Amino acid sequence: MRHQMLCQPAATALRFELDQGESITCEVGAMIAMSSGLTVETTSKSKGGSGGIIKGLKRMFSGESFFLNHFTAQQPSQSLLIGPTMLGDCVHHTMRGGTMIVQGSSWLASTPGIDIDTTWQGFTSAIFSGESMFWVKCSGSGQLYLSSYGAIHCVEVNGDYTIDTGHIVAFEDSLKFNIGKASRSLIGSFLGGEGLVCKFHGQGKLYYQSHTLPSLGSLLGPKLKAK
Amino acid sequence: MQVDIRNRPSFANLHVQFEPGDKIIAEAGAMATMSANVEMKTRLNGGFFGALARRFLGNESIFINEFSAPSAGELVLTQPFPGDMVCTELRGNTLFLQPGAFIACDPGVRMSLGWAGVRSWIAGEGLFRLKLTGTGRLWFGAYGAIFDREISGEHIVDSGHLVAYEPSISINVGMAGGIFTSFFSGEGLITRVRGQGKIYMQSRSFDGLAAWTNAHLW
Repeated sequence: MRHQMLCQPAATALRFELDQGESITCEVGAMIAMSSGLTVETTSKSKGGSGGIIKGLKRMFSGESFFLNHFTAQQPSQSLLIGPTMLGDCVHHTMRGGTMIVQGSSWLASTPGIDIDTTWQGFTSAIFSGESMFWVKCSGSGQLYLSSYGAIHCVEVNGDYTIDTGHIVAFEDSLKFNIGKASRSLIGSFLGGEGLVCKFHGQGKLYYQSHTLPSLGSLLGPKLKAK
Repeated sequence: MQVDIRNRPSFANLHVQFEPGDKIIAEAGAMATMSANVEMKTRLNGGFFGALARRFLGNESIFINEFSAPSAGELVLTQPFPGDMVCTELRGNTLFLQPGAFIACDPGVRMSLGWAGVRSWIAGEGLFRLKLTGTGRLWFGAYGAIFDREISGEHIVDSGHLVAYEPSISINVGMAGGIFTSFFSGEGLITRVRGQGKIYMQSRSFDGLAAWTNAHLW
């Protein structure tokens, strides 16, 4: 299977070339176009894996869909074009064992070796991280594709790294984060418009988004008419 | 201090690489990520009354953040709407910015709020404008792509599209044509900029997005 990112970062789409028998699991509604030699199977389970109704329901808590779409090529060299709903970027991450913690709704697609589950990062992170209460947990090995509003960048954290709330896309679970203040003084952090931030520590990859939807919404909201 | 504008023009963001002792001034709330060794200090944007005026009249923050790094580190600055960013260098000259456009500047750049006038307000550009003077680099952003134009004489810009201009430029409001054309062409009021100097425009207007969204809500 090969992939190609098109039109980055504003209106990114992903193009896959699948050989006969290869399959990929995508978010429901992500398909834009595909060859006729692909079959679609909609289940609440990972491809050939475990899970069922409970996992599907848990996924809904993290902002993903109850169902997953599995695309399988029945003929050689089939192409599949997918894209996220919102404007924004996509990113590709190769997993070799290990676990990635992904912001709710940022999971776009993955190859069958990756299991998609839901996780909880603790009470303070649920309330203050600016992300949804539950996170998507991807574990196993294979190719993982994520999407987000804004451009996505990766940083190799070795030690400590600070990220503003709402900007986390995904991180390797060798990284841990806690909620802290942006500057030394708490009052200064709030007056400076940064308020609380997520402070990561450990070693691993961290993906972040350059822009956030809530900040656009807070500018656009006051200009909208009441219904 | 190396500063790059990444992901132009749709999701422009500033990537700042600090060398020991470097400093940058940024709009409150612009920080997206930073190395743990980067220090953020919040201070009033000018004097107390100046800062208050900027907040309530210029729609800018009362506070600005000063980021400094005792050792090498990085910082990413962003803006609330998707769009472009531009860097310009001030060498003692002045640039006027529309409210909300400021993102960051070198410590040598001073910021103050100036009265832009009722004509500017009618043109959809705000009663006040941010005045930047001094020496150093300045980064500002806009909704949509930014393009500049050297004008000499008169130039017409649709209202809400002017982002920045030099003090040698004066602003007037006009109608796009006769009364009929102005109301039915979708152009309405336009801004007449006159003088000799540089203007920066944005390819989209945020009020345009709001109007479009309003029309599609039900």
